Amino acid sequence: MLTLLSASAVPVLGALLAVGGAAKLFGRDTARQAAGTALVRIVGAGRAGLALRAVGAAELLVGAGLTASPASAAPGMAAAALGAGFLGYLGWARVAAPESSCGCSARERGPVTWRSFARAALVLAGGAGAAARGGTWWDEVAAHPAAAAATAAATALALAALSTDLDHLWLLPLRRARLRLLGHPLAPTGTGRTAGRVPVAASVELLERSLAWQSMSSVVRSALLEHWDEGGWRILRFAGLHQDAEGTRPVSVLFALDAAASADTAPLPSVRVTVLDDCTDEQLPVTPPDVPVRTALTVLPLAT
Amino acid sequence: MACGSTSLWAGEATWFCCGSSWGPCSSTGTGACGTCQSSAHQAAWPNASAACFSITRPDLCGESIPRRGCGAVMTVKHQCSGSSVCVTVSDCGPRTKSFCGEATCCNGTCRTNRVIDLTPAAFSAIGNLSSGMLPVYIYE
Amino acid sequence: MSSPRSTSASGGRGLDRRRFLTTAALGGATIVGASALGGLDADAAFAAPTPSLDPAVPAAAFAEGRITAINGSVLEVAASNGGRHLIQLTNATSIWKLEPTTAEAVKVGDGLYARGVPMPDGTMAADALWVNIVNLAVTVRGIAKDRLHFAHGAHGLVGRVVPGTTAASYLAGALTSDLSQVRIGQSVQVLGAWRPEDGSVDIARMTVGH
Repeated sequence: MLTLLSASAVPVLGALLAVGGAAKLFGRDTARQAAGTALVRIVGAGRAGLALRAVGAAELLVGAGLTASPASAAPGMAAAALGAGFLGYLGWARVAAPESSCGCSARERGPVTWRSFARAALVLAGGAGAAARGGTWWDEVAAHPAAAAATAAATALALAALSTDLDHLWLLPLRRARLRLLGHPLAPTGTGRTAGRVPVAASVELLERSLAWQSMSSVVRSALLEHWDEGGWRILRFAGLHQDAEGTRPVSVLFALDAAASADTAPLPSVRVTVLDDCTDEQLPVTPPDVPVRTALTVLPLAT
Repeated sequence: MACGSTSLWAGEATWFCCGSSWGPCSSTGTGACGTCQSSAHQAAWPNASAACFSITRPDLCGESIPRRGCGAVMTVKHQCSGSSVCVTVSDCGPRTKSFCGEATCCNGTCRTNRVIDLTPAAFSAIGNLSSGMLPVYIYE
Repeated sequence: MSSPRSTSASGGRGLDRRRFLTTAALGGATIVGASALGGLDADAAFAAPTPSLDPAVPAAAFAEGRITAINGSVLEVAASNGGRHLIQLTNATSIWKLEPTTAEAVKVGDGLYARGVPMPDGTMAADALWVNIVNLAVTVRGIAKDRLHFAHGAHGLVGRVVPGTTAASYLAGALTSDLSQVRIGQSVQVLGAWRPEDGSVDIARMTVGH
C-alpha cells in the first residue's frame, strides 16, 4: 500500500513542483512577489527576485526529474532535499520575519502558515518515498490502475487543500453552504441583556453628526470620556476648554440624548447640552450654534 | 507648499495606517508613493494614478474624481465642526467601489461615497479616530 | 439605573458624582437640528473662506508608537519611525481601548495614537488617546460564533466578536448590535482594538460594504 501511495503520489508531486517552479521561473510578477518574502533578508532586496527564480528553476528540474526518470533515486533525493530546504526556510522566516509572505506559489501572497509547512513536509515525504522505492512509478500504477488513480486523486486533493490559491474555488463556497444549512452563527438570540440595545457607538455617531455637536466643537477637546444610561437617557461626557472674558478653564461637556435613538430613527436628534466648570461645578452658559443662519435648508436625500 | 481654498470635492473620509507602524499596520508599507507615514499629515486619494483608479473605481459610484498624483496638497475640512487639516497625497485609496452609496451626514446634510483616506495624524486633527468616518469638504 | 457596561469612577463617590452629572445634563439647553439653522451645506461651506494652512505645521500635537514604560500618569512611547514621546494623561484625557475606558486598561506593549498639546517640558498633555486602535479594509473569509476570519491584504486576520460591544453598519445604516447580515466575501471596514498577545483584533465596529 505504501509503495502504491508513493508511486501514484510521485507524478502528482512532480507535476506540482514543475508547474509551480515554471510559474516562479518565468512569471512576470516574480520580482514583485519576492520583495515581500523573507528572501530579502537573506540575499538583499536587489537579488531576491533572482533568488526566487533560481528556486523556481530548481523546483522545475526536480519536478521534471521525478516525473520522467523515476528509476534513479537522484530526483527523489533532490525532492527530499528541496522539501527539507523549504521547511528550514519557512521555520527561519517564521521566526526572523513573521510579517513576510511565504513566496510558496506564484499567485499566493499569504504569510507563512501551517499550510506552508504541511506542503513542504509533503514534498519532503514524497521525495523520500520516491528515493527509497525501486522501479518506476508507471509499473506500479499499471499493476493497480484503479487504486493508483484513487490515491493520485487523493494526493491532488490534499495538495489543493493545502494551497490558499484555490480557497475561492472550494473553501469559501463550502463555508457559505454551511452558513446556509446551519444558519448564521451571529444571528441575534433576542434573549441577551444587550439584545435590541442601541450600541454606545451608535449614540456617539448620532451626536457627532448633530447640530449640538457642531455648536460645541470649539469647546470639546477630548473624545468620549465616559457614558451611562439613566431613565431612558444616554449621557455622554467629554472634556473641553471654555473661553470667556475671565480666561480659559477646563470644563466637562455633557450631552444627553434618547438612549434608544440612532441615525436610522432620529436623523435630527434633540440633544441636551450642559457645560460644567471642572473646578467649581458651576454651570456655564451654552453659546448658540455658531453656524450660518440660512432661510432655506437643502437637505440631501439619505442614501439607502 | 501652502494649502489652497478652491473647492475640489466632498465626500466621506476614513483613516488608514501606513509606513512604519505597529500591529496589523506593520505590514502595510509606505504606500503607492513610497512616502506614506501614519504620523504625518498625509492622505490616500482614489485617483492618484491610472493604476490606482483601476483598483478604487470611484466612477462605479458616479464619482468622476480628478487625478491628483503623489505630492498633491489638499485641505480637508470636517463638514460638521469646520475644523480642517492640510494633507499631502501619499497613497492610493480608499476602495470607493466597495461602499457605493454610503452616506455620512451632518445635521441632515449628507456626503456620499468614500473619497479620501487620511493618516491617523491627519484624521485625529479634525475628528476622533474611534468614529472611523467623517463627512468632509476637500479644497486645493 | 446605570448601564453595567458604562465606564465609571468606582465606588460610592463615583455614583454620587454621576447622579449630580445626570441631573446637570438633563437640565441642559436643548439643541435640535432645526431648519432655521442650517448645517453647512456644500455651497455655503465652499463659499466660506478657509484659512490657508501649511502641511508642515500641524495644529494639534500628535503622537504614535508603542508604550515602553508607564510611570504614574506618564506613558513612555517609542515612535515607530524612531524617536520617543512622553505622554501625560490627565483627568480630561479620553482613553479608548475597544471602548471608552480608564488609564488602568493601558499596558506596556500597547500601540497608541494620541492627540494633545505640547508642554514646555517636552511632554505632551493628551486630550485623546486611542490604544491599539486599527481601522482596516478587509474581506470576510469565514464566520464563526465568536469570531470572523478576514483577509487583510496578503494576510489573514482574526476578528473577535465582543458581545455587547461589537456593532455593525450595513451600507450607511446606523450602527446596530445585529451582526447577522455579514456575509462571506463582503468588503468590510473593521475598526477595533488589536491584541498584541495574539495579533487578533477585538471588533468595535464593522462597516459592511458590497
